[in-house]
Amino acid sequence: MSTATTGMSTKRRNGAAAKIETTRKQRQRWLPWAFLAPTILGMGLFTLVPIVASLVLAFFRWDIISAPSFVGFDNFAEVVQDPTVRVSFLNTIMFVVVAVALQLGLALALAIMVQEKLPAWLRVFFRSAFFFPLILSAASVSIFMRYLFNEQFGVVNWLLSFVGIPAVPWLTTPAGSAAVVILVYVWQNFGFSFLLFIGGLASIPTETYEAASIDGATGWRKHLHVTLPLLSPTTLVASVMAIINALQVFDQPYVLTRGGPGDSTRTAVMVIFESAFQRLEFGQASAIGVILTLIIMAITAAQFRLSKRFVFYQ
Amino acid sequence: MPGSNGKLREISRRTALGALGAGIVGATVASWPRLTGMDIPGRGDNSLSIAILGTAADAAARQRVIDAFAKVHPEIKVKVQAIQAADWKDFFTKILTMVAAGTPPDVVYVATEGAQLFAEKLAHPLDEYLRRDAADMKEYFADVHPSLVEAFMYKGSLFQLPIDWNAANMYYNTSALQQAGLERPADGWTQVDFRNTLAAMRKARPQDFTPYYWTNRLFGGVVPWLYANDTSFLKESKSTGGEWLWDSFYAQDPSRGLRSGGYQWLEPNADDPRVYESFDYLRGLVKDGLGVRPEEGGGNSLVGLFASNRIGMTPAGGYWVEGLHEAGMKEDGFDVQFFPRWRTQRHQFGTAGYAIMKTAKDKDAAWEWLKFASSLEAMRLVFPTPNTTPARRSMVNEQLYAGRGPTHWKVFYDTLDKFPTTGPIPAPPQQAAVETALMKNVSLAVSGDERQLKQALDSMQRDLEIALRRQA
Repeated sequence: MSTATTGMSTKRRNGAAAKIETTRKQRQRWLPWAFLAPTILGMGLFTLVPIVASLVLAFFRWDIISAPSFVGFDNFAEVVQDPTVRVSFLNTIMFVVVAVALQLGLALALAIMVQEKLPAWLRVFFRSAFFFPLILSAASVSIFMRYLFNEQFGVVNWLLSFVGIPAVPWLTTPAGSAAVVILVYVWQNFGFSFLLFIGGLASIPTETYEAASIDGATGWRKHLHVTLPLLSPTTLVASVMAIINALQVFDQPYVLTRGGPGDSTRTAVMVIFESAFQRLEFGQASAIGVILTLIIMAITAAQFRLSKRFVFYQ
Repeated sequence: MPGSNGKLREISRRTALGALGAGIVGATVASWPRLTGMDIPGRGDNSLSIAILGTAADAAARQRVIDAFAKVHPEIKVKVQAIQAADWKDFFTKILTMVAAGTPPDVVYVATEGAQLFAEKLAHPLDEYLRRDAADMKEYFADVHPSLVEAFMYKGSLFQLPIDWNAANMYYNTSALQQAGLERPADGWTQVDFRNTLAAMRKARPQDFTPYYWTNRLFGGVVPWLYANDTSFLKESKSTGGEWLWDSFYAQDPSRGLRSGGYQWLEPNADDPRVYESFDYLRGLVKDGLGVRPEEGGGNSLVGLFASNRIGMTPAGGYWVEGLHEAGMKEDGFDVQFFPRWRTQRHQFGTAGYAIMKTAKDKDAAWEWLKFASSLEAMRLVFPTPNTTPARRSMVNEQLYAGRGPTHWKVFYDTLDKFPTTGPIPAPPQQAAVETALMKNVSLAVSGDERQLKQALDSMQRDLEIALRRQA
């Protein structure tokens, strides 16, 4: 009796344990999805749906008020023939080349200086100082910069006057306005690349530098043959992100120059904004957006493909 | 410390999660009106929702009018929604997105820039209401210049009643003029006199001073110079119709013969030799250091500079008076004169008023609001200070400008009375595209040599052709 009872209870215990195990496994199976659900939902609602919607919209003419009408590839044809759109894409490419080169160059140089030459407490200060512009609103910064670079009453020209430089028409000539837009953009964004490089530099083992020193490498040679190759994975990430961001530049040129004078600082995203929200041509705006997305994807893919040649992993 | 006495350890994970869940539910319930947009004025109830360009403070300032309206029409509940935007273009964009979202306001305060866009697509004509209430409205039209009313005519129908307006007059700094040894310019001064005045100002103050400051925009930029030279960057014509209004309300007006069914801007005109001539004149001012290369931006940013005596002259409307007063400028520190004469002395103006949306829930109630808002009582409540020019002639008086200036405040309304052909901002339904086409070429046109000017005008002509081809 007692044996039977014991047998029964063991069986029951085993059964209960198996049930608990099954429940635990089941819970483990859906728990990650439960945590992921808000992100997936958010991504789906606010990223995927708009992407698909704008892709579809690129084949329609729609002004918000009237019903959309299907126009096939007409929007793409009109966009490609529009000289303003062509100029804006060329401007964007030029902007990316100059701004990203400056951004990465400045960030790398400052990261090496800060990491090598400064005491720890000053490093913390400069990390914060260089990152600070990034957390400011680009629109506010640009409004402020408009006053600084005003030809007649701006502080910049006032300072230049002390060294005998006559007033520069910063925001009213094509060259001046392009320079200011790039300058403001780089100032505001290099902090992110700077932090990436700081992280990358910190991960390079000191032994490598010691070995290079023993081999006779000093000064900039050390950086050329040790720092740059070992920093190449960070450089890849920094450049991919910098290029993608720069291709989408909008706030600074829009607030500083509204794309002018002429079309000299008009960018691709600015043309999308003007088409959609000022001229109510949502189909054309979507078509430009699709073209820009394809360009971004092509450039990013090319970067990853080329990275096999210059990225070294330890 | 809670941690040290172990109290926190007594809270089980389940309790913590429950509290978190309860917190989330509570926060969601509390913010439900915001999440669903039910807290937007006029949504979810039968209130008449009115959208204006401005801040929450501007909406609050309208409260006195709403209270006064409630006394006359207690059955109509009104809610004002202020939409903050950089300019009218951004404001219209916001209204259009509200339309797309299915939550359009019933009434919108629309300026000339958007008048034809709204008339073409969104607004309900006022004709039937005006015919019905003609007796009530006679007093309003007798007090409002027909030029302002004509600006809101579109294809023979009236879509808005002007509430406020501003012409591009010429403000000048009185001390800068005195330093240059000059008297107040004559009413009929010419573009040559204007240039000579700038040259004298420049001679008197060679440093840290700009004789002529102007901005690159549709109002007060290059357009007043084009109008003065009897041209524009768009070919201006007028549509037929509208006799019902002119004959009812302006039959005795001396300018009755000039009135039409509304303005039309159907073709570009940047290749007109007079447009070239006007731009070349401005290019000369820039080249000789008498005027700045125009930057884009509103005139308000100039108030501080003008008030600190660093600008000699600039075109602006009556809306500047209060700004200069608040910036500390004495009433005799500045004055205003008509825009200089060239081939004509036609000025440019912009006006604004309420439009009833086609989608308005209760158009009759909306009309009652429009009628009340255009009354003397309501307009006196809205315009206690000269931060714009009221559309009613009787309100542009000594009392409004007392203690604020300028001495010759009569210039504001005289601009319409003395120059009845004075015209509105050229704003076809495709205004946004047209404005972009104009502004993007102005800086280039006045900043280089003659070849660059020609190229910029060719580019403007091409851009305008594309802009006007586009669907509004």
